[in-house]
Amino acid sequence: MREMTFTDAAREGLSEEMARDPMIFVVGEGIGARGGNFNTTVGLYDIYGEMRLRDTPISERGFTGLCTGAAVMGARPVVDFMFLDFELDALGDIINQTSRLRWMSNGQVKVPIVLRGGIGIASTGPHHSSSMFSLFMHIPGLHVVAPVFPKDAKGLLKTAIRTDDPVIFLEHKKLMKFRGPVPEGEYLTPFGKASIVREGKDLTIVGISYPLVEALTAADMLEKEGISAEIIDPRTLAPLDIDTILDSVSKTHRLLVVDEDYSPCGAGAEIAAQVVESGFYELDAPVRRLNGAFVPAPISPPLETAVVPNAMNIAQVARALVTE
Amino acid sequence: MEKDDKSPLLLPKYQLLELLKTMLLIRFCEEQLVKSYARGEIPGGMHTYIGEEATATGVCANLRDDDAVFSTHRGHGHALAKGMKPELLLAEVLGKATGSSAGRGGSMHLFAPDVGFYGTSGIVGPSILLASGAGYTAKLEGSDKIGVSFFGDGASNNGVFHEGINMATAWQLPVIFVCENNLYATEVAFSYASKSKNIASRAACYGLPGIVVDGNDVLAVYQAANHAVERARSGEGPTLIECQTYRTRAHAEGMKDVGYRTQEEIEQWKERDPIELWKKRLLEDGVTSEQEIGEMEAEVLKTVEDAIQFARQSPMPDPSDIFDHLFSQEVHHA
Amino acid sequence: MAYEVNLPRLGWDMVEGSLATWLKQDGEFVKAGELIFTVEGDKAIQEIEAYDSGYLRILPDGPQPGQKVPVGTILGYLVSESELDDFEFPNDRTDSQATLEKVGSKELKPNAHATQQDGSGNGASAIRRINISPYAKRLAEGMGIDWKTLKGSGRGGRIMAKDVKAAVSAMELSAKTKEEGYQDVSEVGMVAPAKLETIPPTRISMTQIHRKIAEHMAASAHTTAPVTLTTEVDATELVALRKQLKEGLLVEGQSPPSYNDMLTKIAAKALLEHPWMNARIDGDEIIQINSIHVAIAVDTDRGLLVPVLRDVQTKSLRRIAHESVELIEKTRLGTIGLNELQDGTFTITNLGMYEIDAFTPIIDLPQCAIMGVGQIVAKQVVVDVEREKVAIRQRMVLSLTFDHRLVDGAQAARFLQRVKRLVEKPYLWLAG
Repeated sequence: MREMTFTDAAREGLSEEMARDPMIFVVGEGIGARGGNFNTTVGLYDIYGEMRLRDTPISERGFTGLCTGAAVMGARPVVDFMFLDFELDALGDIINQTSRLRWMSNGQVKVPIVLRGGIGIASTGPHHSSSMFSLFMHIPGLHVVAPVFPKDAKGLLKTAIRTDDPVIFLEHKKLMKFRGPVPEGEYLTPFGKASIVREGKDLTIVGISYPLVEALTAADMLEKEGISAEIIDPRTLAPLDIDTILDSVSKTHRLLVVDEDYSPCGAGAEIAAQVVESGFYELDAPVRRLNGAFVPAPISPPLETAVVPNAMNIAQVARALVTE
Repeated sequence: MEKDDKSPLLLPKYQLLELLKTMLLIRFCEEQLVKSYARGEIPGGMHTYIGEEATATGVCANLRDDDAVFSTHRGHGHALAKGMKPELLLAEVLGKATGSSAGRGGSMHLFAPDVGFYGTSGIVGPSILLASGAGYTAKLEGSDKIGVSFFGDGASNNGVFHEGINMATAWQLPVIFVCENNLYATEVAFSYASKSKNIASRAACYGLPGIVVDGNDVLAVYQAANHAVERARSGEGPTLIECQTYRTRAHAEGMKDVGYRTQEEIEQWKERDPIELWKKRLLEDGVTSEQEIGEMEAEVLKTVEDAIQFARQSPMPDPSDIFDHLFSQEVHHA
Repeated sequence: MAYEVNLPRLGWDMVEGSLATWLKQDGEFVKAGELIFTVEGDKAIQEIEAYDSGYLRILPDGPQPGQKVPVGTILGYLVSESELDDFEFPNDRTDSQATLEKVGSKELKPNAHATQQDGSGNGASAIRRINISPYAKRLAEGMGIDWKTLKGSGRGGRIMAKDVKAAVSAMELSAKTKEEGYQDVSEVGMVAPAKLETIPPTRISMTQIHRKIAEHMAASAHTTAPVTLTTEVDATELVALRKQLKEGLLVEGQSPPSYNDMLTKIAAKALLEHPWMNARIDGDEIIQINSIHVAIAVDTDRGLLVPVLRDVQTKSLRRIAHESVELIEKTRLGTIGLNELQDGTFTITNLGMYEIDAFTPIIDLPQCAIMGVGQIVAKQVVVDVEREKVAIRQRMVLSLTFDHRLVDGAQAARFLQRVKRLVEKPYLWLAG
C-alpha cells in the first residue's frame, strides 16, 4: 500500500470532495494561492479559484459566522482556521449559532460546516498550542474528530465534509508529517468507531491525538518487560466509541487515558466516568489519566518536554498501573 | 449619502395598500402579544416591534421568498413582513408544539425557511455574518438571491459589524445590511456609546454605500431598500441602510419605559406613528378611503384573532422529542 | 365586548403581585392608553395603562389592594356603552386565571452519575477499610471466596484480581495444579467453572429411596397435565369437632383423630361421590377404582414416604385414626412393608405444621389427584354481607392438583367444592 503524510492524505480527501461537490469551499488565512500555512490546500486554488479557496482577513469570528450562514443556505464550507487558538475568537458563535441552529429551528435548517486546523504543543508556545478537546465535546450539536493516522485523516475528513452537521476537525501539528499507509480508491471512515491499534492484555491505553504515537513507543518498551498494553485510538471524541473501550477494559481490567490537553474536565475525565459507570465491575485498579501539565504551553525546549506526556512517562505510568 | 427626497408614488395601488396591510399585521400581532404577555401566556422575555413597522415592511416588500433574512431579538416584525404565518409565530411565542420551532425557541428563535426567514436571534450581531454567508452561497451557486441582515444600533458597535461588513464589501457579496437605529441599545443611548455622527456614515470606511432613511416613512424605506436590492442582485455588492426609527414600548415587556428617556420623547415619536403617517398619505393622495382602511383593519384583526385562538388551543410540546434534530442522524453520544 | 383587566406580568420572572390602587373608579370611562391602576411589582409601584377602552367595572369580589395574587388574575372589565346596562360578571373565570403552564416541568432524566465518595486506599481513615477492586470482588464472589480474609498486594493494601486468584491456587490441594502457577486468565469470564471444582463440594450418594423419589417426581412432571385448584375453607366447625372428639376420647384414654384423619374421611366420602377423581389411566382406558385407598405423605429422615390407608370408605373415623398412627410410626421407624406403600388411589399431603398456606403438590402417579392441606389460621371474615357483619373464623386452604388428562376442571372443582362443604359442615357426613 502506498504511504503518505497525514497532511497529504487529508488534502487528497479534501481535493476529492471538492471535485465531487461544487458547493464546497474553503476559507482561511493564506489558504488561497499560498496553499495554507500547513499546506492544507496546496494546488487547489489553481484548479478552483477564488470563490472556492477564499483568503480571509484576520476575522475569525467574522468568517466563521459568515460560513455558518453560507452553510445554512446550502453551501458546504470548510473553515481552515490554522491554529485552534485563533479560532477561539469565534467560540461564542460556534456555540450559539453553528452548533445549535438545527436544534433551535427544530430541524428546519442545517449547518454542514467543517472547522479544521492545527492543535497541540510543537515548539509553538502559549498562543499556538491549544487542544481543547473537552471544550468542544461538551457542546451539544458538534462532532469532534481527532485523527492520528494518515488513512484516518483522509477518511474522516471526507466523512466530515459529507456530514450535514458541524464538525470540529483537529489535526495535531506533530502528526502533519507522520507517514502511514493510505488505501487507494474511494473510502469513508465512520464517526463513532474507535480502532484498536495494538492488542494487549495487561492494560488498555487510550491515546488521544499525537500522544497515541508516544503510547505505541511506550508499548514496545513495556513488551520487553513482559507488560502487554492494548492501545486504542478513539479517532472521534464526539461521538465517542465507549463500547470498544469497555470491551478492552473487560479484557485487561486496567485503563490509562493519555491526552496532551489539560486534565481538569478533560476528555480522559469523561472516558473515565463512562467506564466507571458502565464497566465498574471490570476494574481491577483506578482509572488513570496522563495529561499535559495544567499550564499554558511554554516555548523553551526543556520546559516543553516537562509539560507534555512522552513515551517514557507513559511507560512509567503504565508500569505503576499494572502493579498498583 | 443624503436622505432621499420624497419622489412621486410610482407603485401600483395594490402594492401601496399591501405596505399598509403588512404594517397593520405587525401592529395587531404585537398588540395581541403584549396582552398575552401581561396575562402570563408567554414563557420568557419578549421584545416588541411597535413603532418600527415601516422598516421591516419597506425592506421586505422588495424581497423574494428565496432571499434570506436574518434578524435579531426584536424580530417579529421582520418575520411577519417576510411572510411568516402569524399563527406559527404566535404559537411559537406561546411555547406551543405547533409553533415554528415546536416551542424550542420562542420569540427569539423564529424560523420560516419556506419564506426565506432564517431566524431571530438572542445574540445581537451575528445576523450580519449569517446574511453575508447567505450572500456568499448565492454568489457561489451563481444565483441572484440576496442575504439581508437586520440589526440595531447596539449591534453596530459589536465586532461583527466591522468584520462582517468589511468582508462582505471586500468580496462584493449580495447583501443588505439594515440597521434599525432606534436611538437606544436596551437603555444605553447611541450617542453615549459612540461618537459617530450616525451609523450609515461608517460605511465610507469599508467602501460601501451608506444610506440614512426616515425609518417611519415606509415608502422612503421601500425606495432605499429597492436601490440596495438592485445593487446586490446585479453584483455590485452590499449596501448599509440606516433606518432611523423608534420603539414606543420598553426594550422588553415588563421593563420600565422611562428613566433613560423621557415621556415627552416617546409622545413625540408616537405622533410620527408609521402606520398613521402612511394612512394619512394614502388618503391625501386619494389612493384609498377611510372605509377601505376600516375593512382592511377588520380583516387583519380577524387574522390575528384566529391566530391567537389557534395558538391558545394548541398543545404544549412533548419533552420526549427533546433530542431530535441535534444531529442530522441518530448519533450515539455520551 | 367586555375586555378583561388583568394583573399584568412585569418582568419575565414575575409570577404574582398585588394591586396597589385604582386610578379610575367603577363605572368610569377609560380610554385605551390611560392609566387605570397601579401595581406593586417586584421592584416598585408601577402605573399600568389600559389596553382597551370601555367603562370600568371592578370585580366586587376581586383582589383587594395589597392582596397578593397570581399574574393574570382578573381585576375587572372594560365594557362598551351598549353592553353596560346588561353587563353581568361572568361566573366561570377559570380560563382567564392564566397562570403559565410550567413548560419543562416534566423533568428530563438527568445523566445518572454514581459518584463514589469513598477514597480508595488513602490510608488516612482511622477505621481499617478492606479495599478490594470491583473486578477482584466479582471474581471472589463468583468463586465463593471470602475476600475479607485476603491480603491485598495492591496500592494501599488493595485486594486485586491476582490476589484472589492466588488464594484460589493456594486452596488447590493437588500438587499438580500448584506447579501450573498462574493460570492464563485471559479466557476467564464471569465465573471460572474450572476453578469451582478445586473446592470440593459436599458429595452425597443418592440412596435407593432418593433415586426412586427423584424418578417418580420427574415422571409425574413429564407425564401428567397438572392443574392446581385452591380454595379457602372455613375450618371452624372442623376445629370444634376435633376439640369435642379430643375431649371425648381423652376421657376414654385414646388419642383423637388428627386433621389428616378427618380429611381422609372427608376425602373418601367425596371420592365416592366423584369416582372420576379416584381413577387412573391405563393405556387407552381410564380405570375408576371402586375402593378408596388414601395415601398420606409422611416426612421421614429417609425421605418422603407415602403409606396407604386401604379401603377408607369402609372404615370409621376412629379406625382411620388408629391405623394412621400405626402406619406413620412404622414409616418413620422404617418397618413399613412395601405393600403398605402401594396402591394408593388418592393422596393427602399436609404442610400446615410448617405454616404453609397453599402449595402445588405433585401428583403421585398412577393416581390422578393429590390434595395439599395448609395451616389453620384464625382470620376475620365477612359472615353477613348485607348486614356487614364480620367475625373471626378458622380458615384453611386446600390445594388440589389434578391430572387434566383424565379429569377436567369442572369435575375437579366440584369434587373440591364438596370436600369444602364437608369440612365446613361436618354434620353432612351423617347425611349418608
